[in-house]
Amino acid sequence: MSGANQLLELSMGIEHFSSEWIHCDRISSYVARMVSHNRADSLLYANLLSSALNELLETVFAHHGPNGQLSCRVKRAGASDIIELSLPCDDKALKFYTQAADMLDRGDIADRYQEALFSSGEQDPHLGLLEVAVDYRAKIRIAPAGEHLTLSAEMTLEGAQ
Amino acid sequence: MSAADKALYEAVFNENNQEFVIAGKLRPRREDEILGLLEGMMAALDNVRGTFYLNVKRLAHLNNIAFRAIAEVIAEACERRRDLRVEVITSSVVGWSTRKFQQFARHSPRVTVNEYDKDFYPGQSFWEEGGFVPTLRLQTRLTWRHERKLLPQHGLRPGMHVADICCGIGDFAVLLKKEFKPGRLLALDHSRSSLDYARKVAADFEISDIEYVYGDASELMIEDNQFDFVTCRHSLQIFDKPELILKELFRICKPGGRVYITNEKNSHCLGEPRSDSIQWTYTEVAKLFAHFKMDVELGPKSRRYMLDAGFEDIRVDSFMVTNLDGDPQEFADLIKAWETVFAGEMARDRGDPPEFLAKFRQGFQDHIYAALHPKGYAGWPIWAASARKPA
Repeated sequence: MSGANQLLELSMGIEHFSSEWIHCDRISSYVARMVSHNRADSLLYANLLSSALNELLETVFAHHGPNGQLSCRVKRAGASDIIELSLPCDDKALKFYTQAADMLDRGDIADRYQEALFSSGEQDPHLGLLEVAVDYRAKIRIAPAGEHLTLSAEMTLEGAQ
Repeated sequence: MSAADKALYEAVFNENNQEFVIAGKLRPRREDEILGLLEGMMAALDNVRGTFYLNVKRLAHLNNIAFRAIAEVIAEACERRRDLRVEVITSSVVGWSTRKFQQFARHSPRVTVNEYDKDFYPGQSFWEEGGFVPTLRLQTRLTWRHERKLLPQHGLRPGMHVADICCGIGDFAVLLKKEFKPGRLLALDHSRSSLDYARKVAADFEISDIEYVYGDASELMIEDNQFDFVTCRHSLQIFDKPELILKELFRICKPGGRVYITNEKNSHCLGEPRSDSIQWTYTEVAKLFAHFKMDVELGPKSRRYMLDAGFEDIRVDSFMVTNLDGDPQEFADLIKAWETVFAGEMARDRGDPPEFLAKFRQGFQDHIYAALHPKGYAGWPIWAASARKPA
């Protein structure tokens, strides 16, 4: 989104990020708290943003290229916040995110989300993205660029619950 | 998930009310990391009859891995037990949870979602819906004359991190901001309309650094040990379980920090002349509030409540707001507003007969008479207490 101001950027090596699952929780909690203090209801906003960001980070934790930097940026344009995750991307990760982009473009994502939420067996690897798209009404964009890929989610969380 | 991470959540089954409570943060990588919780829930589901209550009011975060595991355990139990119903109790304070569990209710007909809200606050509607804002503002203005001098004696200093819990329309927070310049000021209330009003007032005065947040004072979604000074004014007395709120005030206060509360003893409102009529009416006010499970006699009990909650170094002051503090008409206006709410809405809701109402109203009229009488005296006593959380 043009005219958005960057509030925060946090970077770490993808190897380090994916060495501990708890990094998803720690980063989402920290980032949410940092960017929510001047929203009308800071606690509620941080709670929602952390939940959405954590789902994105858990997706990236499982699907990324082997080497390079993971960057998490938060940009703000009025009532909307944009989370941008830049991650290293190999062929396997590219295939995953390309499939995800195709799925999110379809019109049945609410049904797909409900199905994925209650399916038996292994969890649908796209469930986190579906949740952010459906429950948080986020516009998700997936933009590959060489050996990197940017996953962004634009959300208006105030008044969304 | 390490042992330390597991401590991020707690799960308890209360057999008496068939309620399984999960609180904290539940973001495992694999289901087996929360096996204890899932097994506990299975055992609990096997033990209940009729309705199983899943209380997630204080579950701040839940990832899909944990959600799916919990949903599966419940769905399997519903499959085995045709008599079983499940009610998920969520809180509107946690933004995602009602929406998320409603997905579950759509999927499983025997699951319902109940967003817990007002039940805990028997008196809230009287303040929210009664056009009571001008009265609340007046009350704060009258008490502030005393409290601005008292607060430093109770430990408030500039630069402190301060939380005003049950902030109502937020006017006390604005006064705190101006007078004491806290380093951080969070003002929380459970009334969205009051918070909307508070934010509007703050915006009008171009005050941007008060965090007005929606929350339940008995189930605060605030981490432990956050604030140097926690205030909760005129609020413990209108909740039916003040000890639960005090426990939360204690929890969010830093060790060595202080919690400051104010409360009334309404039956001690006084005036001369016509003291007998005034005293009778305010004794009846206390009974009226007790009918709605509120204790407006709580003021002098503050010390006991704070000791029971684990505080130390308790300081108790009392002060009297009187007709001599400033403009006697302001005091009279306050009494008139009380009459409207207490003898109007509240007594009407209790079903009081006309002869009682006439006598009840007379006491307020006599209090106004005393306030405006050239030789009269009228008072409203407040107890201010503070205590330190042990370091």
